[in-house]
Amino acid sequence: MGGCFSDLRGGKEGVGIRIADINNDNGGGDNDAVRHFYMAQGFPKMFTPLQLSLSASNLLDRDIASKSDPMVVVYSKKKDGIVEELGRTEVILNCLNPQWIQKINVIFQFEIVQQLEFHVYDVDTQYHCIPTKALKLRDQDFLGMANCTLSEIVTKQSQRLTLKLQSKNGYNGSRNLGTLNVHAEETISSRNAVEMIFSCTTLDNKDIFSKTDPFIRISRIVESGGSVPICKTEVIDNNLNPTWKPLCLSSKQFGSKENPLVIECFDFNSNGNHVLVGKMQKSIVDLENLNKEKKGANFVIPSSNHSEEKVLKGKLFVDQYHEMEQFSFIDYISSGFELNFMVAVDFTASNGNPHQPDSLHYIDVSGRLNSYQKAIMEVGEVIQFYDSDRHFPAWGFGGKTYSGTISHCFNLNGNSGGSEVVGIEGIMDAYTSALHNVTLAGPTLFGPIINMAAKMASQSLSSFNCTKYHVLLIITDGVVTDLQETIEALVKASDLPLSILIVGVGNADFKSMEVLDADNGNKLESSNGRIATRDIVQFVPMREIQSGQISIVQALLEELPDQFLSFMRSKDIKPLPYK
Amino acid sequence: MPRTLEITILSCENLRLNKRSIKKNTFVTVQSDASSELNITRVDSDNGSYPSWNEKFVMDMPLHARFITAEVKCKTITGVKNVGFARIPVSDFIGGYVPENQVHFLSYRLWDSKVNRNGVINVSVRVKVSQHVGSNSMSLPVAVKGVPVAGNGSSRVVTGIPAVWLNCHSNR
Repeated sequence: MGGCFSDLRGGKEGVGIRIADINNDNGGGDNDAVRHFYMAQGFPKMFTPLQLSLSASNLLDRDIASKSDPMVVVYSKKKDGIVEELGRTEVILNCLNPQWIQKINVIFQFEIVQQLEFHVYDVDTQYHCIPTKALKLRDQDFLGMANCTLSEIVTKQSQRLTLKLQSKNGYNGSRNLGTLNVHAEETISSRNAVEMIFSCTTLDNKDIFSKTDPFIRISRIVESGGSVPICKTEVIDNNLNPTWKPLCLSSKQFGSKENPLVIECFDFNSNGNHVLVGKMQKSIVDLENLNKEKKGANFVIPSSNHSEEKVLKGKLFVDQYHEMEQFSFIDYISSGFELNFMVAVDFTASNGNPHQPDSLHYIDVSGRLNSYQKAIMEVGEVIQFYDSDRHFPAWGFGGKTYSGTISHCFNLNGNSGGSEVVGIEGIMDAYTSALHNVTLAGPTLFGPIINMAAKMASQSLSSFNCTKYHVLLIITDGVVTDLQETIEALVKASDLPLSILIVGVGNADFKSMEVLDADNGNKLESSNGRIATRDIVQFVPMREIQSGQISIVQALLEELPDQFLSFMRSKDIKPLPYK
Repeated sequence: MPRTLEITILSCENLRLNKRSIKKNTFVTVQSDASSELNITRVDSDNGSYPSWNEKFVMDMPLHARFITAEVKCKTITGVKNVGFARIPVSDFIGGYVPENQVHFLSYRLWDSKVNRNGVINVSVRVKVSQHVGSNSMSLPVAVKGVPVAGNGSSRVVTGIPAVWLNCHSNR
């Protein structure tokens, strides 16, 4: 055994787990502050599988001697126009108000607009015995179609949407083709998680001049007979009777609670050649029983005779076992939480004269969008679904405004009162209008914009229910001048319901931006030594996006749900109760 | 109106002593610059350079208090060694964006006696406005927990920060 593990903290950190220390010796019982701190560390990144349940009302009756026999086919329409069939329901005989049992599986991706299309057919009697997958749709009677985005469904509190059915050409005339009800919910298994505390006694000592430095690795047995690691604990130095920090495993990691898992205990060696101390095979159910019965399980180790295993004195105990439900991003959104979109546009002179074609702010009369417009459109068209009123604050910075002074945070709409505009179109219109009224100036400062956004976010935090999470999009062409002030502002804002997306346009050197985006693992640090609570910045240079296949939205937004969840968990904010 | 501070010393990361990872026996002292009250955590003897205490203290927070100092120390064969310290400005959790009565999770760089970076300390802070009126500031108790700071059986405790640290830190 052995091999390389994660190099974090010299390879001694836990991997694939959420570490949550719910114990303390303070004599005051559970310390909520401690739990919340560790909960902010986040769960392993997971995609969100959804199931669509479908029903319909008042369908068109196409049969003569009986009612229609309806079936629904669900499609996903990609941005490039490709249509993919996601699944089909079963056929329900002789019914105009069907409730289909067959669920349609779809993967929710926050960072893209997922267009869904539903086609309802009346299946001819002669095809009733044929599996639905084999049915030729052109041989069936078309009853109607409807379309929506997946975001429109998940943002509803009930996660249910009622759609009017239309004909293929969109013209129904006076006919009522009925309605289709779509209900989306996460698969139950994807929510479940188990929190456990492991300890061991009397481990074999594998070191000569000190004691074993043990850690546990858990692997899932796959169909081929091998095993796939799903997590490992942290390393506890020099200890034959260790107790590890609590770990949380999701059902996505272990599958069914009855699935066998391989639990191995290793002695950590910095050269990566970890020595097996012992192993066992247990399911989650087995581990639960160990906890209930307060019993330990003996490790075994392969003997020289490969057909035998030696039972060791060392034992594994499950000191704590707790099943829990993880609230997902969709849980929050569907219960009424919102993402409030904010935009800040760079109006510094380095962009070039807006009237010249080589300017980054050039408005092409043909309608072709410039880089700023592209960024606003692509991010906005995704995120707008998560804001019920679609009133978006929009600012500019680095320009000489209507009052004749250079402002590093001015309202894009030109109003002295409020900064909000209506919809993405409102942002685009305000931007275009500002180009005619604002003189490009400088320098490039982010601090004032971030402070303004932070002020707005803090107002949400002060409200009774912190149901608004703010997303600031900064679009800039240049190197930030107030780097240290920006870092100070970001560190202060890291404890607020706020994420910041920075898009770099043009060909400037954006190295300082990469400092702000703490993807390299080094959290931002203020001048007084305060370290950012969490990473809230995502930076993407537009030129890299334009040269590749990944859209700007994917690059910018894919981390946003995790940032959102990290904040909510750290504050112990739960989804609103269903009314 | 007097304020009360609930501060929880959570954990530290990547602690070193004389450029080597600390193996065991770390603890933290916590004190406000406006008070002689000193709080001391228990000794973490298991988690080496990544210790965890999760220990809550309740401290009076006079209005003129400017910062909280957290000092990480290590008990060794030769005595108690200073690992590093962090100064937590009161303005980081009072008067900022986050409402005072909410829990603030804060992390700070630790600096050793030569003002070199030496790991991180994680704390949580919550401020409560105290209803107590007319407290006798002349009789503030010295709250000592855990082990004696001196490490040689003495019952005395260290207060404040060595001047050299303050001078070096203020010159950054």
